[in-house]
Amino acid sequence: MTLLKLALKSCYNRRASVILTLFTIAISVMLLLSIERVRIDAKSSFSNTISSTDLIVGARTGDIQLLLVSVFRIGHSNNAVSWQSYQDIKQRRGVAWTIPISLGDSHKGYSVLGTDSHYFTHYRFGKKQPLKFSAGRAFHNAQEVVLGSEVAKKLHYHLGQKIVISHGMGNTSFHHHDDNPMTIVGILEPTGTPVDKTVHVPLIAIETIHSSTSTPRSIKQKSRDVDTQTTHSDEHEHGPLESEPGDLIGTPKQITAFLMGFDSPLYTLQVRRNINQYKAEPLLAIMPTVTLKELWEMLDIVEKILLLFSMVVVVISLLGMLTTLLATLNQRRRELAILRSVGARPWHIFSLMSFEAILITLTGCVFGTLGFYGALFTIEPLLQSQFGISLSINTLSSYELTLLSVIMVAGTVMGLIPAARAYFYSLNDGMSIKI
Amino acid sequence: MFLHGPSGSGKSTLLGLLAGINPVQQGDIVTLGQSLAKLSHAKKDRFRADHIGTIFQNFNLLPYLSPLENVILGCEFSPARAKKAQQDGGSIPDQASNLLTALGIETHQLHCNVATLSIGQQQRVAAARAFIGRPEIIIADEPTSALDADTREAFITTLFSQAKKYQATIIFVSHDNNLAKLFDREISLPSINGASQ
Repeated sequence: MTLLKLALKSCYNRRASVILTLFTIAISVMLLLSIERVRIDAKSSFSNTISSTDLIVGARTGDIQLLLVSVFRIGHSNNAVSWQSYQDIKQRRGVAWTIPISLGDSHKGYSVLGTDSHYFTHYRFGKKQPLKFSAGRAFHNAQEVVLGSEVAKKLHYHLGQKIVISHGMGNTSFHHHDDNPMTIVGILEPTGTPVDKTVHVPLIAIETIHSSTSTPRSIKQKSRDVDTQTTHSDEHEHGPLESEPGDLIGTPKQITAFLMGFDSPLYTLQVRRNINQYKAEPLLAIMPTVTLKELWEMLDIVEKILLLFSMVVVVISLLGMLTTLLATLNQRRRELAILRSVGARPWHIFSLMSFEAILITLTGCVFGTLGFYGALFTIEPLLQSQFGISLSINTLSSYELTLLSVIMVAGTVMGLIPAARAYFYSLNDGMSIKI
Repeated sequence: MFLHGPSGSGKSTLLGLLAGINPVQQGDIVTLGQSLAKLSHAKKDRFRADHIGTIFQNFNLLPYLSPLENVILGCEFSPARAKKAQQDGGSIPDQASNLLTALGIETHQLHCNVATLSIGQQQRVAAARAFIGRPEIIIADEPTSALDADTREAFITTLFSQAKKYQATIIFVSHDNNLAKLFDREISLPSINGASQ
C-alpha cells in the first residue's frame, strides 16, 4: 500500500464530493478547451475565407463594408462599378486575372452571385485551395447554375434539376421569375466559406433575371471576355449536363465588385492607388488580407472576453476543489492522527493530501478533454453549417496542452493549501484525536 | 503497566511524549534506551513506527480500508516491523490475518467494511495493528472506555496473551481504577505529575 493507494482509497471513500468536484473541473476544462478551439478555428476559418486575391474593387464605401459584401455576402452595396471601369482596370499592366461579381439576388435565402468562368479557375480559399466540383462542371451558358455545397445539401438539389432565381434578397421575394428556370450543372465541394452558401450564375443570367422582357438573350452574342469564349463544339451528346456553350457575360452595365490577382505583388499597391484615385467614378480597392485582419481585430475584444470567462470558470472550479478539500479536512483529522500513530511522518500526510488534489485535477482534465472531443464532434457540423467555421478535429495542440498543464499546476498549487494545513494539524494534534 | 488519572491530568501528553509526537521541551525521555530529546522529528517518527504500537479510545480504523488492510497499515511506515511481521507469519497479510484470528475476528470479516464491525471488534483490529511486527511498547489510550464491562475484561485478557506472546510492554491508560488489579504495575498520574499541581 503506497501513499498513492491510500489517497485513492480515501478519495473513493468520499466519492460523492470528489465526483462532484471532478465534474466541475471536467466541465470547466471542457469549456475552456472548446472555447479556445472554436476561437482559434474561427479565426483561421475567417482569415482563410479568401486567399490569393490581391485586391477587391468596388464602389466607394468603407473597407470593411466592401469586404463583407463581396466576400461574406453580408449587407449590400448601394453603388456599383460600371462595366467600363471594370474593362478599363482589367487592362492594367500586371493584372493576372479578374473575377467580376454581381450580387443582390437570392434563391430561397441563399445569395446569388453572377460571375464568369474565371471564378472557377482563379478563386482561391483557405491555403490557396481552388474550388473543386463534387459533381458536374462549371456553367457554359446563361441557363446554367452552379451551387455551393450547402445550398445543394440543404435544399436537396441534384444535377439537372431546374430552379428559379428570384429578384432581390430574402426568402420571401414577391417577384419570382418563373419564366427563367435554370439548370443545375455543377455542385462545388464544401469549402467552409460563404461560397458554400452561394448560388453561382453567369453574369448574363443576372441581367435576364432583372429584365422585364422574357425574351432570352441571344446566345450567339459575341463574348466580351476572351477567356470565357468557349468553343462551339460540334459534339451533341445527349445527357442532362450537355449544353450549348454560350455567352456568360451579356451586356452588363454594372457589377457589384471585382476581384483581382496580379503577376507580382509589386503591382498591387500601385494599382490600388490608381483605383482609389480613379477619375471616372469613385472606386475603392482593398487588400482582403489586410481588411480581414482589421475586421478580426474589431472582434478581438469579444474573443478576449470569451477567453477571460472560460479562465474564470476554471479558476472557480479549482476554488471549488479547494473548498471541498478544506471542508473535509476537519473530518479527516482522525484519519491523519491514525496515520501519524502508525509512524507516518508529517510529510507523508502532506503528500497524501497533495496526491489527492493532483489526482482530482488530473482526472478532471482527462474527463474534460474527453468531454471536449465529445462536444467537438457534436458542434462541428452545426458550426460548419451555421457559421461556416470548420473545426479541426485532431489531437490537442501544443497550446491546448499548455492550457491543460497550467490547469494542472494551478490545481496542484491549490492542493498544497489543504496539504499544508494537514501538515500543521498533524504536527500540533499529535496523537490525540481532536474532532 | 497501568496508568490512571482523571481527565486533564496529562495522560495523553505523557503518551505523546513517550511516542515522540509531542516534542520534549525540558529534560529528556529515554524510551528503550533511546533519548528522544536528541532525535530529529524524522527519527522520532521512525522510532515510533518501529517500536510503538498504538490503540486509541475509539474509531481506530481508517474507514476506507478493510480490517486486514488496517492491520497491514501498521507495517506500512516501518520496514523493520514489516520484516518482523514477515518472519512471524510468512508474509505480512498472513501475519495480519493470524493476529486478527488470534484476537477473535472471524475470517469472513477480514475483508468487510470496518463500519460493519462492532466497537469491540474494531478495538481488536486496532490491537492487531498495534501488535503486528512486534513493537516493544504498546500504548493503549483508554482503549476500553467504549466497551461494556464484559467485553472490557475479555479484551484486556486477549491483549495480555498477545503481549506475552510478542514480549511487548503495554502502557495502558484509563481513568477506570477497577482495571488496575489486572496489571503488574500501576501509576496514578496526579500523584507523580508536579506540573499539573
